[in-house]
Amino acid sequence: MKAPDLVPVSLEVNGIRFEGDVEPRKTLADFLREELGFTGVNLGCEHGVCGACSVLLDGAVVRSCILLAVQADGCKITTIEGLAREEKLHPIQQAFLDHHALQCGFCTPGMVLAAVDLLKRSPHPTEIQIREALSGNLCMCTGYVNIVRAVSAAAERIQTAEKP
Amino acid sequence: MKNAQWKGQALHPREDRRFVTGRGLYLPNLSFPKMLHAAILRSIHPHARIVSIDVAEALKIPGVVCALTGEQARALSKPLRPLIPLPVEIPYYCLAYEKVRYVGEPVVAVAAVSRYVAEDALDKIRVEYEPLPAVVDPEAAMKPGAPLLFEPLGTNILWHDRFTYGDVDGVFSRAAHVFSERFFIHRYSSTPLETFGCIASYDNSRRYLTLWTNDQRPGQAMPILAHSLGLSITQIRFITADIGGGFGNKRKPPYLVLAALLSRLSGRPVQFIEDRRENLMALVHACNGVMELEVAVGEAGRLLGVRVRDIADEGLNVLNPTVHSLLKLGNVTNCYEIGAVGFEGYSVMTNKCPSGANRGIGKPFMCLALERMLDNIARRLGRDRIELRRQNLVPPELMPYTTPTGELIDSGNFPETLNKLLALIGYESFRKEQEKARSQGRWLGLGLALAIEPSTSNQSSYILTSGRRNASGAGEAAMVRVESDGSVQVVLGDVGSGQGHQTAAAQIVADELGVGFEAVQVSPYFDSLVSPWLYTTGNYSNKFAGTDVGAIQGAAKKVGEKLLSLAAHLLEASAEELELAEGAVRSKKDPNIRKTLQELAQVAYRDLLALPAEMEPGLEGRCYYRAALADLPDEQRRVRGQLFVSNAGHATVVEVDIDTGRVTILKYAIVHDCGTVLNPVIVEGLVHGATAHGIGAALYEEFVYDEQGQPLNTTFVDYLKPTAVEVPDFKTDHLESPSPYTPLGMKGVGEGGAIPAPAAIANAVENALEPLGVRLSDLPLTPERVWRAIHSAKKKS
Amino acid sequence: MKPAPFHYYRARSLQEALDLLSGPAANGKLLAGGQSLIPLMNLRLARPEALIDLNNIPGLSSIRSAGAEIRIGALTRHREMEFSALLAKELPLLAEAIPQIGHPAIRNRGTLGGSLAHADPAAELPCVLTALDARMVATAPDGERVIRAEDFFTGFYATALADNEILKEVRIPLDRRPAGWGFVEFARRHGDFALAEASVLLFADDAGDRCTSARVVVGGSVERPVRVGGVEKLIQGEISLNTQASSLAHVLQRVEQLTETEIQSSIAGGENPDYLCHLTGVLARRALESAMERWRKA
Repeated sequence: MKAPDLVPVSLEVNGIRFEGDVEPRKTLADFLREELGFTGVNLGCEHGVCGACSVLLDGAVVRSCILLAVQADGCKITTIEGLAREEKLHPIQQAFLDHHALQCGFCTPGMVLAAVDLLKRSPHPTEIQIREALSGNLCMCTGYVNIVRAVSAAAERIQTAEKP
Repeated sequence: MKNAQWKGQALHPREDRRFVTGRGLYLPNLSFPKMLHAAILRSIHPHARIVSIDVAEALKIPGVVCALTGEQARALSKPLRPLIPLPVEIPYYCLAYEKVRYVGEPVVAVAAVSRYVAEDALDKIRVEYEPLPAVVDPEAAMKPGAPLLFEPLGTNILWHDRFTYGDVDGVFSRAAHVFSERFFIHRYSSTPLETFGCIASYDNSRRYLTLWTNDQRPGQAMPILAHSLGLSITQIRFITADIGGGFGNKRKPPYLVLAALLSRLSGRPVQFIEDRRENLMALVHACNGVMELEVAVGEAGRLLGVRVRDIADEGLNVLNPTVHSLLKLGNVTNCYEIGAVGFEGYSVMTNKCPSGANRGIGKPFMCLALERMLDNIARRLGRDRIELRRQNLVPPELMPYTTPTGELIDSGNFPETLNKLLALIGYESFRKEQEKARSQGRWLGLGLALAIEPSTSNQSSYILTSGRRNASGAGEAAMVRVESDGSVQVVLGDVGSGQGHQTAAAQIVADELGVGFEAVQVSPYFDSLVSPWLYTTGNYSNKFAGTDVGAIQGAAKKVGEKLLSLAAHLLEASAEELELAEGAVRSKKDPNIRKTLQELAQVAYRDLLALPAEMEPGLEGRCYYRAALADLPDEQRRVRGQLFVSNAGHATVVEVDIDTGRVTILKYAIVHDCGTVLNPVIVEGLVHGATAHGIGAALYEEFVYDEQGQPLNTTFVDYLKPTAVEVPDFKTDHLESPSPYTPLGMKGVGEGGAIPAPAAIANAVENALEPLGVRLSDLPLTPERVWRAIHSAKKKS
Repeated sequence: MKPAPFHYYRARSLQEALDLLSGPAANGKLLAGGQSLIPLMNLRLARPEALIDLNNIPGLSSIRSAGAEIRIGALTRHREMEFSALLAKELPLLAEAIPQIGHPAIRNRGTLGGSLAHADPAAELPCVLTALDARMVATAPDGERVIRAEDFFTGFYATALADNEILKEVRIPLDRRPAGWGFVEFARRHGDFALAEASVLLFADDAGDRCTSARVVVGGSVERPVRVGGVEKLIQGEISLNTQASSLAHVLQRVEQLTETEIQSSIAGGENPDYLCHLTGVLARRALESAMERWRKA
């Protein structure tokens, strides 16, 4: 059995289907950025620590820099670009704006998606729960204070919106 | 300024919107047809002779286009010029030549069709080294017989000087008490999340270089680039993308030269982006060092004099050493009225990563030493540490106050900062809290530190260390233009790196021209063909308040005057009767008599014959602004090294787990004063972020080298940045002591928090462990270090 | 920071994976979660010639009870274990440790089998599973075998797995329910690897108030999880629900000191192992305190 130089991959990213052949060693992050143009996926360390490259894979937050593109075969990926519905921002994105939860913005896509993952699992997180869930996403600019406030506010907003 | 509608508004930066949707135009997101990717093979030895380099195998790999060695770089470029002249010329190129002098130093560069392939090529390059003994400790590097980084220089000491202000010897000999102590600072850096990079596109037929980069000091980089490449500045177009954090780190002219050379060789655009390992190993470290600090104290507790002997370990930094030293010199008396200063400084080379600008640049160490010392003095004199400080603060009535070294503190109410800080941290009730906690077996401590936070570097200060006058003063440039549809365009040389400049600048212009905030657009990008710029153009030393505001306002004023003049002509009124308001020029007496900006622009750009005879078409103003406060060093070697001095007080309550040594921050209070606040949202964010850097330096971050000079932590796995769990919530309060010297009374903010934080935390930990008689010496205060300090104190007693 | 080239094989069954390991991908590495492997490959510190991707093999990811044991498939993600009601109920020690593994994104991909096969001394699962007396089921071309946790971790990033063997399942016995349990870890930052960690299980008699045996396993500061037998004996003899506070304090102190002494020869620290040694002792004590607390509450 000889390993092929290129591996067929079929996946959906932000609702767009992609089918093609990929070099096995290409990381999911590079694939999303270079092949599909989703440059909102940022590279901060490429060894799975900083979280800047976070995306949602089948709804769960993962680090795309330590995933191979070929591993995402058959999966549904959401990057930051797929979060907003046309002009309407996701409540977490809006909360980040309302609370100035960013400065240079480089950690923001990953941070927002990590927050999406958190609020899906824990709709009413306490401050310490927010901090622990986001501790895998480094920010060098904000000192995290406004980020925590934003996620807290977003949690409330989402809950209020979902009340019947 | 007549209107002040937008000044002080808590506007959330409009930049945030494109970042929160993932539309940031960062350098790595730019791509050009036929663009190649560069990778650098770096030295694995801290010190070695390069015997041979063989790239033949690497060049055979499909997709590898060209390679560059130090020898070729030497043939193709001129040496980079150092800031301070050396007795012997030290040629320094973008790649190592003949020798390598730190692990991570660039040796060979390759350009290939992808970064993947470029790294494959590195694997195939053969470099033969002859290792040499390395020197890692700065004091060892100073000793005769130490391995020399540059043999012709005969020493590793790049700079050594003494400054004496006032009767230092006399003060010390007469003083009732003299206290002295040795302090250490470690290596760390701010590590913006986006690494440094550039894309160089050299057009061989035109001899023209277009460069995209996230370099934060275009004004300084361009001349360096031009000189190295043998081009005139008109042959370079320098464009910056969105910068994902700077903190001083985003500057590396050698990488720009490197990419340009690769582009020249290959005839294609070449992108180089350092990866995180390269960044941690080889971009920039804040100086580590040793400081001997002596303080002369009078009988009644007055601080009479300060003597410093400071050794700054600059690693392999031949290009711009002494920066840390100069800033320490400028900050040496901190917030206190101390009459005599002696400062002896050394800049020493070792076989480590080059030093450079980092948040605070030397000032965190100066503050650490002095604020730790004050706690020690209070303890030894049996005085209260708060009262000892209060007694010595420069009182508000003495503002503007000139320090012995010539630094001018323009405004500030230090006693009030202290009072607010004590209230915010709950100082009064803490003593009881601490006792109660101790009875329960918990070790709580409260520490504080006060700091001046100067901004806006005065280039003249480098005359003190370089002995030559290459540059002087502080300045920035801006352009404001009312477009033909009445909208307002602003281009500022200093585009920032997350400080909300596009919003802050718009607020200023909106007020100046009486238009709505939404009508003003500020370009986020620097483009040397479009942006007015000076050598001092760029984002550094919190200079927005000190120079950018002046430039923006100046440019807006010119346009404003022209609008009034034109309207006066068209309305047949006199300019004095008119005002700028609500997007128009209108009569002060009857607002219905008006011309909108759009109407005026219509004339200025299209209906040219309607203009007054002597008026040029167009509605553009440019201002090249310089800060009047900047001076030259005088005969006593006094100079305003940085201008417009903000100040802050930090206080923190920590808990020390004496079994494990872990330090946890329970409470952190910040009172800051940056003069007039243009945008409180932006200011608060910067205060938080800078303080987080200080916490990182105090408790988590440290670049470690082994005795052989091998860096031991080159990834984020073991270079520890504080996360959302380690950084606490901050309680903040502020004062506004406007500067009399800036157009709006604003002073610098951005780096401030990083200055007092390490001192406050160190003081808190010592306070917590006071009953055990623990004295701390090294930062960061890792659990192991704290535990050892406790352990050895226990042994002593 | 990009990985070196490699051959990629997507295994559709365990048998296929075994065939590949014995054949064309003999010098290859198994890819499960990749959370440890791929960073090393990006740094080019690991350059496997081939990767055998196990993620598409059905039936390797499950958590179920089978008689007197819990069986967890090797490819079960940490996250699944984290939210498993079954584990929370039956193996609370495990449930306490899992949320401390890295961060949510890591747990979304990392697998039980991957973590165990990687055998990072600073990881949580090797320590906890040794305390729980887990059995690892490994499969090779010539059949299956069961390896007890104590024999599974052989050293620094080393296991008893042969080169052609694949971890298939982990079985944890439920025959004895602990009266109290505690897992304590010391890391520099939240989610970091453990500088030291300790797992303690207390087993009581039928009346429920005397400690008949204990299992004490430490990790992080040592090359492989270490059962601290002397401490186990000490606890067994001395602890009951009725132990006075002052006696308990004395026992706890001895536990700390004895742990320090017992693991001194196994400490993986560099020049100054005394801090790590001391730290491990402290954590053993704290894990025991936590276990006692739970015992009292029940």
